[in-house]
Amino acid sequence: MSAPSKPYLLDFYPLEDEKQTRIAPFFAHLRAGRLTTTKCEADSSVHWPPRVTCPLCHGNRLVWVDLPKEGKLYAFSALVLGLPMGMEGDAGAVVGMVELGNSGVRIFSRIRGRKYEDLRVGDPVEFETYDTGDGRVFYRFVSKL
Amino acid sequence: MRKVALVAGGLSTWGIRPATWGELLQEAGQELFANARNLDAKDVDSLFVGAAQPERLAFQSHVAPMAAELLGVRPSRFVRRVELACASGQTAIQDAYVAIASGLSDVALAVGVEKMNLPSMAEATTSMANVLDRAWDGVHGGTAPPFFAMVAQRHMMEYGTTAEQMATVSVKNHRFANSNPKAQFYAKTFAKEKLLTGPMVSPPLRIGDCSSMTDGAGAVLLVGEELASKYTDTPAWVAATSQYTDFHNLANMASLTEWTGLRRAAQDLYARGRTDAAHIPLAEVHDCFTISEIVEYEDLGFCPKGAGGKFAAEGQSDLGGSVVVNPRGGLLGCGHPLGATGIGQAVEVLGQFQSTVPAARLVKGASQALTHNLSGSANVHTLTLYRRES
Ligand SMILES: [Zn+2]
Repeated sequence: MSAPSKPYLLDFYPLEDEKQTRIAPFFAHLRAGRLTTTKCEADSSVHWPPRVTCPLCHGNRLVWVDLPKEGKLYAFSALVLGLPMGMEGDAGAVVGMVELGNSGVRIFSRIRGRKYEDLRVGDPVEFETYDTGDGRVFYRFVSKL
Repeated sequence: MRKVALVAGGLSTWGIRPATWGELLQEAGQELFANARNLDAKDVDSLFVGAAQPERLAFQSHVAPMAAELLGVRPSRFVRRVELACASGQTAIQDAYVAIASGLSDVALAVGVEKMNLPSMAEATTSMANVLDRAWDGVHGGTAPPFFAMVAQRHMMEYGTTAEQMATVSVKNHRFANSNPKAQFYAKTFAKEKLLTGPMVSPPLRIGDCSSMTDGAGAVLLVGEELASKYTDTPAWVAATSQYTDFHNLANMASLTEWTGLRRAAQDLYARGRTDAAHIPLAEVHDCFTISEIVEYEDLGFCPKGAGGKFAAEGQSDLGGSVVVNPRGGLLGCGHPLGATGIGQAVEVLGQFQSTVPAARLVKGASQALTHNLSGSANVHTLTLYRRES
């Protein structure tokens, strides 16, 4: 895995490798096309984002589980004005809360593939991964309309 | 517990200011010392400095001793910075209250300051993305405007709230700001038609729905009950304070449109203050966006769930309504210098109780008032109840 190409202060992406984080498997799973998170074997709670101990019971019997790759837009907007430094080129980009299948998990993500004006709450979206430009990997969703 | 009185306040002018972080703070301090009868800098035993991101916005950390030096005080009990993003100022007041109520402090300054207008606006916006969970929410472009835009989208969908109702909030708060020379939008008028066609920031939120990046500072003095009459004839007594948080990552927010943390914090505040929503004539609430104020009417209990848009449109939150909300001009009219906002709200409550605010925004006879700040993605709510009589 590679290192960030800009100062960490201006770098939004998490440091992914096992030297920096104990959830490096999450990013390894992304590379394999899987969207995963941690689940507590003791109380069955599913976490987002992945954790190293369970915030509910404070145990560490956690296992990696796959989340649904297909979801529906629960809410969304677009970044039109006031984009953060490093995202100036993304004007108009859609962001939203995605309900992942019937998992009960709803996560915030960038939404690719359709303009804000052409989307509605409830529209189907699908998970995809992308290269962050410096060898790291991250996730977003793409419109399935 | 010992009773605590807020006895004096001071503000810098808020706006896009040709002034540094420290200069803004000195302006607020100067006004506080002028307003507080008999105050000697040696009286001040504690200093709480509300500042959200001085490391990023002013390249300065360890700001509390710097603030003490600028204000000419030498705290002997407590000196510290308080950070809770947009609620940093009110949280500084809460800490001063706790210190005095416990008896460990007698005379405490709570100040707030933020210098947000940098040569590069994008640099400041980048720092705002740190307020959410940066690696999982901020990374996608999650800052306040798209988050509150989603709140607005769902509120419109679930309850039929309209852009026009939201604009009513902005028109009201900008009109109030026209009676406040310290406000960023003092002497600027905003017609509803113009707000409804202004540039989009994050749809459905237009520029008139959003509070601004603001430079500003504020200071208030809190003292133990036996000392209050030395400094003023009419203090604002702290009747209760409360705070609640229930999530941070957006995935763990139960509902975008019903802020359970605010409901809980309001219940605590009313119970501790032995009052209820129907008996609040004056409220300074966190209108970082027009939709925020609408959700706050509902979750503070001023109107039923879903009726916030109608409540605003009917003038229920304006002078002559059931509760006057944001007579100072709110965040929309005054601007939102993160650390200073909660201090500005408290200064307004004191000015209302002392009847020193202009008639255009005076809530006559208000016997109590609440202040509210949310921070982040409405995942923390901080509330204080003030009374004219102890
Ligand atoms: Zn557990």
